Amino acid sequence: MTRHIPERAGSGVSWAAILIGIALGIGIGLLYTWEIDPVIEENTAPWQLNETAREHYVVAIALSYAQNQDVGLAFDRLRAVSPDRDVWNMVADIACERVKTVQTNNNRDIRVIRALEQLYRPQGASGCADGLFPTPAPMAFNPPTPTLTRTPTVTPAASKTPSPAFPTSPPQQVFVPTPTPRPSGGYILGRLRSFCDPDFDGIIAVRVYDRLGQGVPGMPVTVTWGGSLSDTFYTGLKPEIGPEYADFEMEPGRSYSVAIPGLSSDAPTVEASACETTINGQDVTGTTSYRIDFQQQTQ
Amino acid sequence: MTRRHVGSLLIGVIMGLAAGVFLGWQQFPVEYTNSSLSALAPHYQEEYTVMVAEGYQYDQDLDGALSRLQPLGMENIFRYIRELTERYISQSNVPAIPPLVALADALSSEPLPPAMEIYHSTPSPSSP
Repeated sequence: MTRHIPERAGSGVSWAAILIGIALGIGIGLLYTWEIDPVIEENTAPWQLNETAREHYVVAIALSYAQNQDVGLAFDRLRAVSPDRDVWNMVADIACERVKTVQTNNNRDIRVIRALEQLYRPQGASGCADGLFPTPAPMAFNPPTPTLTRTPTVTPAASKTPSPAFPTSPPQQVFVPTPTPRPSGGYILGRLRSFCDPDFDGIIAVRVYDRLGQGVPGMPVTVTWGGSLSDTFYTGLKPEIGPEYADFEMEPGRSYSVAIPGLSSDAPTVEASACETTINGQDVTGTTSYRIDFQQQTQ
Repeated sequence: MTRRHVGSLLIGVIMGLAAGVFLGWQQFPVEYTNSSLSALAPHYQEEYTVMVAEGYQYDQDLDGALSRLQPLGMENIFRYIRELTERYISQSNVPAIPPLVALADALSSEPLPPAMEIYHSTPSPSSP
C-alpha cells in the first residue's frame, strides 16, 4: 500500500527576498544616517579638532601650564588632543610651525612661543623654536656708585721766616664717579626672526642699533658654538648693506649663541635646523637663517 | 515576481532599514575629525575657557584672551564667562574660580557680584 504524502505548500515567505530586502534596507538606512541626516556634530573631543582649533587648544594648555605649573594636568589635556602620539613632540612641532609661519610678530606671539617651549623642553622634546625667544633675565639697574675719596692734606714745608697764619680749610670730600664700561646704556635683543631662503642659507644676520635707531659700525659680535668654539666679527664690514650689519654662516645642525659687548639680556641661541620653502611651486630644502637685531637701551 | 516575493522583500527592507538606522545613528555614527572649537563638547569648552582664563592670569593680555575665546562662537562672551564663573562658584570648583573671576572682572565694566568678589580680593593679613 502506498501512502500519498501531500506536497508541502509554500510557507508564505521567500527567504531569498527577505535577505535581499535586508541588504537593501541596511544600505538605505546607512545612506540616510551617514549622508542625508547624520548625527549632529556635538560633543566633539579635542582630538577631533581641525588643525587651527587644535593649535588654539594646545596654546591654551601651554599658557595655563605657565600659570599653574601642573605638568600632570597639562599632560592629561594634551593627551585628549593627541591620544596616539608623543604629546611633547606635538607641542614642539606647533611652536616650530608658529615660528616658521612667522606667527611671532608681537609680544603676545613671543609669550606664546615661550609658554610652549616652557612646556615641552623640560620633558625632553625639542624643535626648531628652541631658544629663539629666551625669557629675558631680570634686569638690574645699578647706578654708578659714587666713590668717596679724600684729598691729601699737604704739609707745609718749614721755613725760617714765620709765615702769617692762614686759615686752613678742612679737608674736602670729592665725589669721583666710577666710570662704567658703556655709560650710554646696554644693549638688548630687539628682534629675533627666523626665515628660510636658499639664497641666504644658514646665515645669522646681525644688526646693531644705538638708542636713536642709527646703525652702529665696528661693534664686535661673538658667536659661540659647541661649548668652546667661538668667532668674533664686526658690524660695518658690508657697507653696501648697512653700517649696522654683520653676518655669520652656520654649519647645519649646530646651535649658536650670539652676543655683543654690553648685552643686558640673555644671549640669543639659534639652531641651524633644516627648513623647507616653496619657490616657483617647488619645495626647496635649506638651513634656517636668522635675523637678530640688538638695540641700545634708552636711559 | 509573485506576491509572496514582494511581501518578503518588503519585510526584509523594513528589517534592514531598522538595522541600518540603528547602526548609522547609534553604533557607528559619523565621526567628525575636522571640527572647530565651537563644536567641542560643553565639558571641553569649559575646560578651554578655564585654560584661557589661566593664561590671562599669566600674561594679563585681555585682547589675547578674547581672541582665544572668540572661536568658541558664543553669542555673548561676557555673559558666558560670568555665567560659567557663577556656576563654578555654586559647584565649588575651587581651582578654576580665581582665574575665571579675574577674567570676568577684566571683561566687565560693572563691579563684581559679592559671590565673585571674595575670590577676587586679596585677603588682607590678619592683625595679631
